[in-house]
Amino acid sequence: MCFNSFFFLFFFMLINFFFFVYFIMNGLSVFFEWEIISFNSMSIVMSILLDWMSLLFMMFVSLISSVVIFYSKSYMNSELNLNRFIILVLMFVFSMVLLIISPNLISILLGWDGLGLISYCLVIYYQNLKSYNAGMLTALSNRIGDVMILMVICWVMNYGSWNYIFYFDFMKNDYVMFIISFMIIIAAMTKSAQIPFSSWLPAAMAAPTPVSALVHSSTLVTAGVYLLIRFNYLLIDMFFFKVLLFLSILTMFMSGISANYEFDLKKIIALSTLSQLGLMMSILSLGFPDIAFFHLLTHAMFKALLFMCAGVIIHMMNDIQDIRYMGGLSLYIPLTSLCLNISNLSLCGIPFLSGFYSKDLILEMVSFNSFNLMVFILFYLSTGLTVFYTFRLIMYVMINDFNLMMIYNLYDEDYIMLNSMFVLLFMSLLSGSFLSWFIFSYPYMIYLPFNLKLMVIYVSILGSILGFMVSNMGIYSLNKLLLSYNLSSFLCLMWFMPNLSTYGLSYIYLNFSQILFKNIDMGWSEIYSGKGIFNILKNYSVFYNIYQMNNFKIYLFSFILWFMILFIFFFI
Amino acid sequence: MNNNSNKMFFLFILFFSTLISISSNSWFGCWIGLEINLLSFIPLISNSKNLLSVETSLKYFLTQSLASINFLFMILIKFSLLKNFNMNNIISIMMNSSLLMKMGSAPFHFWFPNIVEGLSWMNNFMLMTWQKISPMILLSYYFNKNFLIFMIITNLIIGSLGGLNQTSLRKLLAFSSINNLGWMIFSIMISENLWLFYFLIYSMMISMMISLFFLMNMYFMNQLFINNMNFFIKLNLLINFLSLGGLPPFMGFMPKWIIINFLLINKFYFLTFIFMMTSLIIIYYYIRIIYSSFMFNYFKMKWVNLLMKNNMSLINLSSFISISSMILSTFIFM
Repeated sequence: MCFNSFFFLFFFMLINFFFFVYFIMNGLSVFFEWEIISFNSMSIVMSILLDWMSLLFMMFVSLISSVVIFYSKSYMNSELNLNRFIILVLMFVFSMVLLIISPNLISILLGWDGLGLISYCLVIYYQNLKSYNAGMLTALSNRIGDVMILMVICWVMNYGSWNYIFYFDFMKNDYVMFIISFMIIIAAMTKSAQIPFSSWLPAAMAAPTPVSALVHSSTLVTAGVYLLIRFNYLLIDMFFFKVLLFLSILTMFMSGISANYEFDLKKIIALSTLSQLGLMMSILSLGFPDIAFFHLLTHAMFKALLFMCAGVIIHMMNDIQDIRYMGGLSLYIPLTSLCLNISNLSLCGIPFLSGFYSKDLILEMVSFNSFNLMVFILFYLSTGLTVFYTFRLIMYVMINDFNLMMIYNLYDEDYIMLNSMFVLLFMSLLSGSFLSWFIFSYPYMIYLPFNLKLMVIYVSILGSILGFMVSNMGIYSLNKLLLSYNLSSFLCLMWFMPNLSTYGLSYIYLNFSQILFKNIDMGWSEIYSGKGIFNILKNYSVFYNIYQMNNFKIYLFSFILWFMILFIFFFI
Repeated sequence: MNNNSNKMFFLFILFFSTLISISSNSWFGCWIGLEINLLSFIPLISNSKNLLSVETSLKYFLTQSLASINFLFMILIKFSLLKNFNMNNIISIMMNSSLLMKMGSAPFHFWFPNIVEGLSWMNNFMLMTWQKISPMILLSYYFNKNFLIFMIITNLIIGSLGGLNQTSLRKLLAFSSINNLGWMIFSIMISENLWLFYFLIYSMMISMMISLFFLMNMYFMNQLFINNMNFFIKLNLLINFLSLGGLPPFMGFMPKWIIINFLLINKFYFLTFIFMMTSLIIIYYYIRIIYSSFMFNYFKMKWVNLLMKNNMSLINLSSFISISSMILSTFIFM
């Protein structure tokens, strides 16, 4: 099953690549449409839009998913129901492909809902309490986005069909489009875990690592960004786009800070994903959809690679995910630490790796166009924070001393996992330049003063020095985190925002509903409709029985009495 | 003494008396039919070896003859004193009262559960179905609408409330018969054809239930909890009871539906409400009888066993009829 699906997806990736190159070189785009039902004035159609963006994204999705399936052959080899897992992953890929190729809100809804539901099934795959809670949080946060898209479908019915791409140029100042854009932005924010809805992404790390590599690094969370890229022509003058800018910059900043306080390997990577998502959303809301798409793709490559390396390390550490137990791994697992290093440095934006092309372009566009001071500061600060937590992670995992046991065997020769990582390594090295040559038919014109151009390098160096200094832990180091406990917990627990989605939502309402249940359902409603009516009827029946159990002459005499009364009335 | 030829003779006269009563030209002929009805039913139910059935037949004789006397008297008064055909007067109330007492309808129904308690199942079947034909048809010839609507309400309420406290199956069916009398009297007021339809379906349902109880020789509710009751018998019981209560996919829903339709078209909203609520109470006590036999773990008496007789194979057929009659009964209206 693994090999079959791997080959199928790899072949699919090659087909997509071929068509992508052909389409983008000739400027083609193909639109298929099947009309399913047409009634009164609405027509439900199934449409497929194949232009370079969707083909490119499909190529990346199928590449990552084929590599992840191949990887999970070895990662999940002790799993009894591996076929179930592979089928879930394939269904996920199918929903994602459906989302990518659809210019039609109904098929976007199919893909979107499919993504939400299947990611829930994948998150709860290990059936324990933590996975259950994480899955519930994931599913319900995604559900908000589903509801928003359903409402958008309702509102778009005003225009006669659900092919939204045809309406952008004509309906920009319409009130309906205003509502639609608001809802689409909220839907994208839930899927891509921006600030009010950002609590599910670190929690969803309870999923198996291949799932995290596929879902939570490159495909599910970028579905929101992709939707906004598709809707970009509509949203570009809207007010909520500026709100999105604000929230996504804050997401980027907050997750960058929180990742510095985390000690769980997968959570650090999740928070770095969150930070990069904030970056994508913010550059999208500044008005550069193609750069956002570019960063989406390169980020997918190195983040999937990073998750896979994390999976290898977790397997090696006897399923321990805490980085305080790791250390010195670069000496013992050279190939894995090669992949880890390259993906980490690509994340930081080290020159000429793949992340550099997209990240540096973003930062230069931010500096070149005139935005306000907060945008500027937070962008560069977040870039510095990225380097900070990356270097902290590298120090903890690879450079400091090994902390698990005295004698331990670190095994790097699992070639199935390594081969899959090498594919992504190759792409992670080259995809930056390759994509920039394809996507941008002409480069962006950027003219910056010297220090501003080097500002990226300044914050990177500053971040790396800080990362080095923070992770120099020895036996007698003072734990400054405990000294500033309130501030540390505020910054570590994502500014207490997960309480919005978990504790704050459940406690008050459960309390209130208990009061209602006790008083009404088991209280007054029983008297007025349940047992109360039964008691009344029973009493009536008992009362009637007293009349029924009587002397027989009384019956006859009552009949005579009735007739006498009628007779008297007759003769009056 | 009680051999089959006696019963056949009196049964034949019983059928004939009803025909006399409903097809006569004058009121006098109706009265004659009613009297012959009474006189031929008494030998059917009296069994001199059983003191209870002697007492029952005596009670039956007393009430019915009182009602017949009154009926005769009112007929004569009507002929001599009233020369008009107006139906809304006191004489019609008096005539209707005596006919209602003949039927066992509500304010004059107190004899009905007592007598039903003393008869065997087959005699009960005759009492509940055949004996109601001639009083109802006579009712349809000369009725007082306002009085009858009040009687209908009384019928329904007493039929539902009286049955809540019963454990004897015969009395339960008696009270449900009183309740169904309410529906039937209203259907007389709509059209006689509808009454015929309701009456046929009602007697079919009652016949299925009574034959089932007769075959199992059950007279009380605690006899229903038998250890090895066959699944099809329980199913049949369930279907028939629910059909009698008027639950939709079964046969008994159809006439009630038509009557409700007429009620709503003619704006009898309050009456509709009373019909509905009393039906609910009736269904409650039907379900109370049968639901414990339908759960997986129900109260069974281990020392009672049911002997399957050969003539129980028709039970499947009767269940099938109850379920599919909704569709089949539309053939009546073709």
